[in-house]
Amino acid sequence: MLKIENASVFFEGRGRIVHALDRLNLDIADGDFVVALGTSGCGKSTLLNAIAGFLPLSEGRITLDGRAIAGPGADRGVVFQKDTLMPWLDVADNVALGLRFAGLARKARREKAEGLLDLVGLRDFGRSFPHELSGGMRQRVGIARALATDPDILLMDEPFGALDSMTREQMQQLLVDVWHRTGKRIFFITHSIEEALVLGTHIIVMSPRPGRIVARYRADFVRRLAEGASLKEIRLSDSFGPLREEIRDILHRDPEPKEEAA
Amino acid sequence: MTVIDKLAAFEGEVPSSGATGPRTVRMPAFGISGQPTTLISLVTASLLVGAWWFVTEYGLVSSLFLPRPAEVLHQFVVVARDGYAGAPLIDHVGASLFRIGLAAALAILAGIPLGLLMGLNRFAKGILDTPIEFYWPLPPLSYLPLMIIWLGIGETSKVTLLFLAMFAPICLAAQSGVRSLPVERAQAARTLGATRLQLFAHIVLPGALPEILTGIRIALGVGWGTLVAAELIASTRGIGFLIMSAAQFLATDVVFVGIAIISVCAFSFAHAVRLAERLLVPWRGRG
Ligand SMILES: Nc1ncnc2c1ncn2[C@@H]1O[C@H](COP(=O)(O)OP(=O)(O)O)[C@@H](O)[C@H]1O
Ligand SMILES: [Mg+2]
Repeated sequence: MLKIENASVFFEGRGRIVHALDRLNLDIADGDFVVALGTSGCGKSTLLNAIAGFLPLSEGRITLDGRAIAGPGADRGVVFQKDTLMPWLDVADNVALGLRFAGLARKARREKAEGLLDLVGLRDFGRSFPHELSGGMRQRVGIARALATDPDILLMDEPFGALDSMTREQMQQLLVDVWHRTGKRIFFITHSIEEALVLGTHIIVMSPRPGRIVARYRADFVRRLAEGASLKEIRLSDSFGPLREEIRDILHRDPEPKEEAA
Repeated sequence: MTVIDKLAAFEGEVPSSGATGPRTVRMPAFGISGQPTTLISLVTASLLVGAWWFVTEYGLVSSLFLPRPAEVLHQFVVVARDGYAGAPLIDHVGASLFRIGLAAALAILAGIPLGLLMGLNRFAKGILDTPIEFYWPLPPLSYLPLMIIWLGIGETSKVTLLFLAMFAPICLAAQSGVRSLPVERAQAARTLGATRLQLFAHIVLPGALPEILTGIRIALGVGWGTLVAAELIASTRGIGFLIMSAAQFLATDVVFVGIAIISVCAFSFAHAVRLAERLLVPWRGRG
């Protein structure tokens, strides 16, 4: 269980204090696919950075299976929005980077990398270099790399935000397959309502200034997707449209950003 | 809504690739990187030599100031056979190469780790920045007399001078290489379980390599200039000394021989670095 308890984050910037997260509580249980949804600037990345251990909390605490989080570690795999593959390593070596840090022998690394590349549909690309791949392919490599060290949870910050809508749907399908097959917990950030609905077993809707959870949903679209339903069937299903509009209303209802005193 | 054309598939034949295969193209990097310039350079060089030949052959310039190409070539053979200024040519070239080679090796060995460290550690930066920023802008020849007083007229003073001249550009390049590391890349490595040492060796160093190699190229340029100047002043061996001796006898052709040797050496060094770049950072500008 990943437990976030009363997490608050204040940034100081240009003489102002920004209240990025306000006493946020969230549990992510085994097998959960939690999607954080919200407009830009509502603290989604701040929350993910705190879970990843990149950012300390101002107040509150985060524990993963009972251990307090004190910094980045291989128990939490991160997939970034920005391309963070190492340009001097080929795809297989990029995927196996964490295994190299763990001291695995080269042969074992390459074998494991091959299996993971298979999982993300890049079987024949182990010897390519990142700059030879498209954005979607690079993002798949990023997912394979994060899975390689067998983390307890996968953290993904708008990983498909830069992709075209067709590639994006392929990647959503792929991610759901990966989730279904590996049973990993996933914390996923997006600002697309449809993406949130399609992917999440749990959806938290956030609002900015200060960053808070204003609504929580459970959804089962992702299970249907994992069991073979198509994205189209899901989008056309009865409950999808009303839920999408309800969430849209919540996001639009957000109070005007109010300035905070320094 | 009307369907205009449901079958928009390409109905023509797929163009056959022919015997030679299809014409492949590649994405050019920014600037001229990757485009061949050898031919252009060769043409320029032959034009320059042609002009040299022309002005000397037709007596437009006295051979005291500018010897003819043939004279220089002849002088090269003579110097190579008989030596010059009390030593065989190979000794002069060897002395210069030894000095710059040793100093470059030391500057690289010290400059890269210290530069990376200065980019990563507040104390290393704070401590080393002051002396480096103080001495680096000084022309090396201005402290050559000090080197001679402290370390004697022998090889130590010259190698130290060269080391100092070449250390700073490499060290500064390594620092700026660290600064250009995207924070997400370091974060990614940390979440993959990298220790500090692994982060340094597997992420920081390769990421800084392009800039380090540029630093080494600059250092070698500075190094050759400093070397020859130092040899002009305080030496009994070396290409700079050979040039100085020849100048005292107004042997312009030998001066030219010396200059030609330096330029061949400097060019070879620069080319070696370029080869190293092609080998070590083929991904430069693409990641
Ligand atoms: N390093 C930082 N320094 C100061 N303010 C920051 C920093 N990072 C984020 N913020 C502020 O915190 C708020 C939340 O940012 P973020 O978590 O990145 O939002 P999101 O990812 O939801 O778009 C924003 O108002 C942003 O300006
Ligand atoms: Mg963000």
